[in-house]
Amino acid sequence: MYKRTTDENLKRILFLGSGETDFGLQGENDAAVYQVLPILKAQGYALFLVDDNPYSLALESADAETIVATLTVQNIKAIIKEKQIDAVFPGFAGIRGIRLWQQIIAEWREEDGPRPVGLGMPDSTVSLLNNSAALFERLESAGLAMPKATIVRSQAEANELLRDLELPLLVRAHNPAQGTTRRIVRRLDDFESAVDEVLEQSLTKEAVISKAINGLKEVSLLVLRDAAGNTMQVGASEDMDPIGIHTADSLSVAPVLTISDQVLQEMRTQAFLVADILGIQGPVHVQLALNEKTNQLYIIKVSPYLDNLSNRMALLTGYPVMLVAAQLATGRLIQDVELPASYHEKTAMMEPVMDHIVVKLPVFSFGDLKAAGIEVKRQLNSIQKSVGSALGFGRTFIEAMEKAIRAAHFNNRSFSPKYMKHVTDDELIQQLIHPQDNRVLLLLEALRRGYEVDELAELTKIDEFYFYQLKHLLEIEGQITNGEPSQELLREAKSSGLSDGLLARFWESDFQAIRELAKQAGVIPTYKALEPSAGEFPENAHQFFATFEEENESVPVSNRSILVIGPGAFRMGDGSAAGYATSVVLSELRKLGYQTVIMNNNASDASLLPHLSDKQYLEPLEVSDVMAVVDQEKPEGIVVPGNRRKLIEALVALGQQVIVLPKEKHQPAGPEEGESEFALNLFYDGERAYPLVLTQHQAGEIRLIDQDVFDADLGSVKLPYSGVYQLIWRENRSDWAREVTLPDFAVDSWLRPMPYGQVAFLSKILQVSLIRLVVRSWKQGGLTNDDLEALVAHMPALKGSDFAMVSDRTDFDLHLRPASPIDSTRFEMGAKIVRLEGDDDGQG
Amino acid sequence: MERHLILEDGTVFSGQGFGAPATTFGEIIFDTATSGYQETITNPIYDGQMIVFAMPVVGADGIHAEAYESIQPKIRGMIVHDLAEVSTNRQRRMNLDRFLRQHNVPGLYQVDTRKLIRHLRETGSQKATIVDVVDDHARDQLQATVLTNKQVQNTATNKAYANPGRGFHIVVIDFGLKNGILRVLGDYDANVTVLPYTTSVDEVLTLDPDGVIFSTGPGNPEDLPESVLTLIRVLQSKVPLLGIGLGHELFALANNSALAVLPAEYHGMNHPIQEIISQEILYARQGRGYVVDPEQLDTKKLFVTHRDLVDQSIQGLRHRDYPAFSVQFFPDGAPGPLEAKRVFADFFETVIDYVQKNN
Repeated sequence: MYKRTTDENLKRILFLGSGETDFGLQGENDAAVYQVLPILKAQGYALFLVDDNPYSLALESADAETIVATLTVQNIKAIIKEKQIDAVFPGFAGIRGIRLWQQIIAEWREEDGPRPVGLGMPDSTVSLLNNSAALFERLESAGLAMPKATIVRSQAEANELLRDLELPLLVRAHNPAQGTTRRIVRRLDDFESAVDEVLEQSLTKEAVISKAINGLKEVSLLVLRDAAGNTMQVGASEDMDPIGIHTADSLSVAPVLTISDQVLQEMRTQAFLVADILGIQGPVHVQLALNEKTNQLYIIKVSPYLDNLSNRMALLTGYPVMLVAAQLATGRLIQDVELPASYHEKTAMMEPVMDHIVVKLPVFSFGDLKAAGIEVKRQLNSIQKSVGSALGFGRTFIEAMEKAIRAAHFNNRSFSPKYMKHVTDDELIQQLIHPQDNRVLLLLEALRRGYEVDELAELTKIDEFYFYQLKHLLEIEGQITNGEPSQELLREAKSSGLSDGLLARFWESDFQAIRELAKQAGVIPTYKALEPSAGEFPENAHQFFATFEEENESVPVSNRSILVIGPGAFRMGDGSAAGYATSVVLSELRKLGYQTVIMNNNASDASLLPHLSDKQYLEPLEVSDVMAVVDQEKPEGIVVPGNRRKLIEALVALGQQVIVLPKEKHQPAGPEEGESEFALNLFYDGERAYPLVLTQHQAGEIRLIDQDVFDADLGSVKLPYSGVYQLIWRENRSDWAREVTLPDFAVDSWLRPMPYGQVAFLSKILQVSLIRLVVRSWKQGGLTNDDLEALVAHMPALKGSDFAMVSDRTDFDLHLRPASPIDSTRFEMGAKIVRLEGDDDGQG
Repeated sequence: MERHLILEDGTVFSGQGFGAPATTFGEIIFDTATSGYQETITNPIYDGQMIVFAMPVVGADGIHAEAYESIQPKIRGMIVHDLAEVSTNRQRRMNLDRFLRQHNVPGLYQVDTRKLIRHLRETGSQKATIVDVVDDHARDQLQATVLTNKQVQNTATNKAYANPGRGFHIVVIDFGLKNGILRVLGDYDANVTVLPYTTSVDEVLTLDPDGVIFSTGPGNPEDLPESVLTLIRVLQSKVPLLGIGLGHELFALANNSALAVLPAEYHGMNHPIQEIISQEILYARQGRGYVVDPEQLDTKKLFVTHRDLVDQSIQGLRHRDYPAFSVQFFPDGAPGPLEAKRVFADFFETVIDYVQKNN
């Protein structure tokens, strides 16, 4: 299907994995690798992937030889030699991949033989990216403006600088051990501690100090460049929130609405120049700050590798960023890039244009933490606090924003005149200046209390456009609270992104009644295709979002489809494992011959990839959104994550065939310090339970116990849904057990669904995909003998199993400043698979 | 107030009126660019046309002094999905709605513009009218309306004027000149004289230009008098010449080539254009209803320098014997990508060469 047109010597490519998920590092890199493997394989490359992320989907791909190993220079060098790798692909692992590749280059010795080439960028760029001072200098000498930055190595040097620079200052770590860490210093008193802190975070014990450019408008551009220097823009997104709030914590809008073409074109030109200077073959994400009074632009960050913007832009525009990026890196020119037949043949070369609006809303876990008794600093600043994000798609800003809010929270709190009533005027002003996670509600409340748009724009540095939009939303709110359901009002409300459930609350009705009213009034969603030509060409689009207009472009995929409800945004506790689970479900359903439809709103995992399902609805996941899609597609069954209990109840009440993928409402708390949690992991096929393996869990680490449990008596286990479960008991011990005495399960243990993270981990260690087995048991009403035999056949792989899952890297203190320690099991952000050294002595 | 758009093929789209409450007629086209609405609606090439914007929210950047491509909107109607009312004017509250009202141009919002664009993609550009009421009278009026073919006369200057600078003397022949071209010439500090397209060869040569530009403009180039083609034929043999947009189409006609009519016009800035000699790709604002017909290109006189890689249309031509060339796309970046400005750099290189040889 696909031809090779590039370097014939390039045959064996190693992808570096991106490792465990974390703040700002969700599943996007893994999803990207997973997406590009099939197309590169079809072009004749032998592909290899190394990663230690237990939640990785790509590690279970059949299109590459996958290797579970810790991402160290030594391990990668060994793999390169053993597998005779010609080329290494670091950029799909983001900045971590670039750093690792830099170390490999540095530590490559003559006796190691010829070093593989690095794909995507020249070696010189790899080293520039690991030396921000040199990078700044390089860009500055090309005429690009950046906030002036100075590197200091000590408190004394930092104090010297204070004589020349005025506050506020931005202080950040040079070569930080983790992602970006930035502190804005407004008061002299805070300067010393900020410098101390970032010096500590820097691998080279250096701090970068620059003038803070708070209050300017922040814009992100994504451009692509090929080996011949052809450059194109994929898209741009503006942050509603000004610089000073981390872009991940900002409400972002695409396409850019409030900036003139002239300035946008200048930004584009600068981004192209950056891509040229760095000699990139692939994507470059450039973040710029705009001073609107002077039209001065500053480049504030350059990320010439895949990051969450690349995945998001692919989803927002319908342009296959990953498929193109991978081919550009292997040396193909933009006009030679090959795409699957569902795209218009010229799609790769055409700059995508959007005829819809997408709002990205950050998702914070402050509420969950508070419920667990942990207070954290909620004020937003230049350090990322959000743990995920949700997208809202619409045809107006308000529609997209309301849908994003609903997607992020499964409800619509923004639309309540009472919600912010308790805030005093003083608090209101304080929070306008120092925003928290609830700022859209706060802005609405400020407008409600009569603040003028220009005052608010001055106070918050948010563009007036957004206040006019919010004012419009308030008008609609007023009409709804004072009005009765009418066709006109229903249309207005629903085309503003509001749900039936919310309207029901306002009109003291129930969701079902509103749904019927809307149907009778003919206010039913029209699904618009999401494709990169904005209607210029017919594209065989598979992605749709709801709006309320005239033409519905979505045609049901078949009369026997399965609708899968995605998990939505990442939240603490799931890590990226929920996205993994959904993706595997889709993949297996398709294998079984079903036509599949997915609903989700998270750009950071693989679940919305075009090749995993027949159709993707980019929608919030409230009952009314789901039911609208059900009306449209009439699926045979609906797969719902077990934690969505209200949704399950509502769908069952409406007569839908619901298939539950077991999941706890909340991630269970882990064992305390000095305590061990034991689990007998079992597979329930709908009829009976099959014991799998024993695991032991201590704070932050899970290990397998090398003990046969095939004979465990699980005859009493009866469950409503097939799935993977755990019988849990706890003991006060902190050694790693070689053997345990099984308790009387009926008395001394409790049963719960296995957390998705552990499902993903065990699937990799056992080399059998447990979720695929669950899906197969749905179809057949139990496991077939073949499946059972396969399951048993894999168990011997356990003998001497020396892998553990460890979660110890997330820097909660840096991001959240919690008042008390955070349980890293319950609020897990990521984990890694570790191979235990030598023969374990039982002490860990 | 609810108003309606009637297409020549009888289809009706409804929405809310904005701008002027006028009833107008025009040729309807769609534009897929996501920025530059003010530049687009004030671009004289759109004289007599109605534009549907694919960009769903229009107006969020207000109306700016630096974004006029001519002093007033030239369009006969603007159709959008969502209208933003933002003013960036320090003196007066001037937003897109007021701007159109002031210039008597009607607009329509809350229209299913994606449906409309998909419809136009299939049925092609056609006559349309914006009305208060859809009735037989309105439909008859639309069918009876003959759209003007005098767009160039409507928009081009009929008096010569200067836009002085201290650099090369560039004569611009105006067919509906957009400000962007003058702005770029200003970047080169060119000493510009803008002349009506009816100017004679003698008058131009008397001014002793270092180069001549045949500007962009609206409408069908074949509706223009033969004298324009003569002007090109004589000037191209004497001074460096650059044709842009309509000027490019005229340059082809003057050199024994013919045009083809596009079934659906293309207005946007996302098509890759390849410069054939360097194989490099650039993007540029395009707005075209006509293209040079590759079957009827006189290859003894002209050769192709640029192509649109999406539809393979000819985007640039160069004369085999003279320092004369032309581009179909708009290289002035107002609106649109700035990499296209290299066309002007090429032109000034030709000018420098000419000046050095003839001093």
